[in-house]
Amino acid sequence: MTRGPSDAGHQGAAALHGGMDATTAPHRIPPEMPQYGEANHVFEMMQNMLEQLLIHQPKDPIPFMINHLQRDNDYVPKIVILGPPASGKTTIAMWLCKHLNSNLLSVGNLIAKEFSSLAADARRHYQKFKTVPSMLLIRLVQERLSEEDCVRRGWILDGIPETREQALMIQTVGIVPRHVIVLSAPDTVLIERNLGKRLDPQTGEVYHTTFDWPPESEIQNRLMVPAGISEGETAQKLLEYHRNITRILPSYPKILKVIPADQPCVDVFSQALTYVQSIHRSNAPFTPRVLLCGPVGSGKSLQAALLAQKYGLVNVCCGQLLKEAVADKSKYCEMILPFFEKETAVPDSIIMKVLSQRLDQQDCVERGWVLHGFPRDLDQAHVLDSWGYKPNRVFFLNVPFDSIAERLTLRRTDPVTGERYHLMYKPPPTMEIQARLLQNPKDAEERIKLRMDLFYRSAADLEQFYRQAITLNGDQDPYTVFEYIESGIINPLPKKVP
Amino acid sequence: MGANSSRELEARNYLEKHQIIELLNFLTSALLFFRPEKPREYLISILEQLRIAKLTGVAFPFFMDNSNIVAMFEMMDSSNKGIISFIQYKEALKTLGLCTADEVLKDDGHGITLEKFRREVNKRTQEIWSAF
Repeated sequence: MTRGPSDAGHQGAAALHGGMDATTAPHRIPPEMPQYGEANHVFEMMQNMLEQLLIHQPKDPIPFMINHLQRDNDYVPKIVILGPPASGKTTIAMWLCKHLNSNLLSVGNLIAKEFSSLAADARRHYQKFKTVPSMLLIRLVQERLSEEDCVRRGWILDGIPETREQALMIQTVGIVPRHVIVLSAPDTVLIERNLGKRLDPQTGEVYHTTFDWPPESEIQNRLMVPAGISEGETAQKLLEYHRNITRILPSYPKILKVIPADQPCVDVFSQALTYVQSIHRSNAPFTPRVLLCGPVGSGKSLQAALLAQKYGLVNVCCGQLLKEAVADKSKYCEMILPFFEKETAVPDSIIMKVLSQRLDQQDCVERGWVLHGFPRDLDQAHVLDSWGYKPNRVFFLNVPFDSIAERLTLRRTDPVTGERYHLMYKPPPTMEIQARLLQNPKDAEERIKLRMDLFYRSAADLEQFYRQAITLNGDQDPYTVFEYIESGIINPLPKKVP
Repeated sequence: MGANSSRELEARNYLEKHQIIELLNFLTSALLFFRPEKPREYLISILEQLRIAKLTGVAFPFFMDNSNIVAMFEMMDSSNKGIISFIQYKEALKTLGLCTADEVLKDDGHGITLEKFRREVNKRTQEIWSAF
């Protein structure tokens, strides 16, 4: 959607010209642009607007777009709840409705609507045949959804669509749910459960003699036994349900979630709520700027290398960068060298200069980066932020001291070949080599403990600063940790519940 | 299946007729360039201006004003000859989104002057905006 530089065209022009033109230099998109786009979800906003334009195809697109933007209802609930009889659909739908402050639509309340000729027709049909014709039902849904409260606060469909035909009709009129929940449980459980179903005629809420009995005696007294709950009738309805549901499910491939209904309804509800509050992955262009934090030995370098290898991100290790600056005898060499010699920490301002030089290079801006080794405390985090480098994914790797000690104290180097070994994970092949292995004094246990304590002292501040950071258990094998990091990067950050 | 492709065709025609994609591209570019604090309000204000411009026939404040056109021309004409080559001209129009990749432009062999470049950019922008 965003206009990018037409690089291919420019390269073509260069070939024809055989020389350097201003037009052939690669375009440098200032990093503020993609950062702004990500932070304000520009891509998703435009995508939603385009969807609405295509569904309604208004004659006057501009007033339509103004209206759409003003309504700002891209993220209101649009939920469909399906399931066999006695699965608890209505209960879950009502609870979700109350919690999300949305509107509930069911066959029952649609046909009971007053002042609607469609509803009156539907009522007549229902009295005779106990069903509502699909066309009529969908028109009722459409009518209800176009009302102001559904537009503003979203909607939850309870038990609609009943058939594939209805599902397709709903789609044709432009009603698209964002989350579809299907409750499922074994038939025998459902038949038994249905026998205990009780209805409150005043509120329409569904109760159960065993699983969900209301505490207030006045409700208890007015509960009625609903019609059609005998074993035979339930079995019949189940047959019909199974026939229909298998043909409805393929209409909602990516937004479907099946929740087992054979568990306490509060558990079903909490799973349903978590699901409807999750955001689906979007197609927005995304350049990862990843920050890995953790004590020494938590595996940051390894994970950074894995990320760089798989996704082409630039691996920026702060310590490495400083050492390279000294080795290359660059302009920062004289500034950094005295600190290296005295074995004290290099000041933040110098680190920032070296770091920003690297992060501003074209490959970092284009491909994204994964940074580790900096910041190590709150001040450094503030400095990084003030220079304009804001990571869009932050991970904290937690590893207990014993594991760190095991990982680091068993490291050895062979002074003859320079090969690195680990007495447990990568032992030397022969006794001869093992005899001559040396340990880096920095890997001694006391020094490791010191460095780890140093990290954990600032960890709490850092975690508060990077509010959307993801904490992971680093005490697992590297590929498991990598999978967690991957899913943290690929999935959208959880939206804060208002 | 036939019904599906005819609706798809319908949708594509709609997009073309009202030049929706160009409009959305423009809005996205404006957002990313100006980076307002409140993106929705900003978009609404641009759309309102567009709507009024269409009603009253007043010219819409184009994204590329005259100084931008001059700057772009000077970037391409690095040796200050006063003209740019046909290839550069075509690439520039493509970058600005003012001509499609397979549009055939006439090359009269004389190169493009600043005046001609400016006129062409303005003419094409005007064409796009008149559709709204």
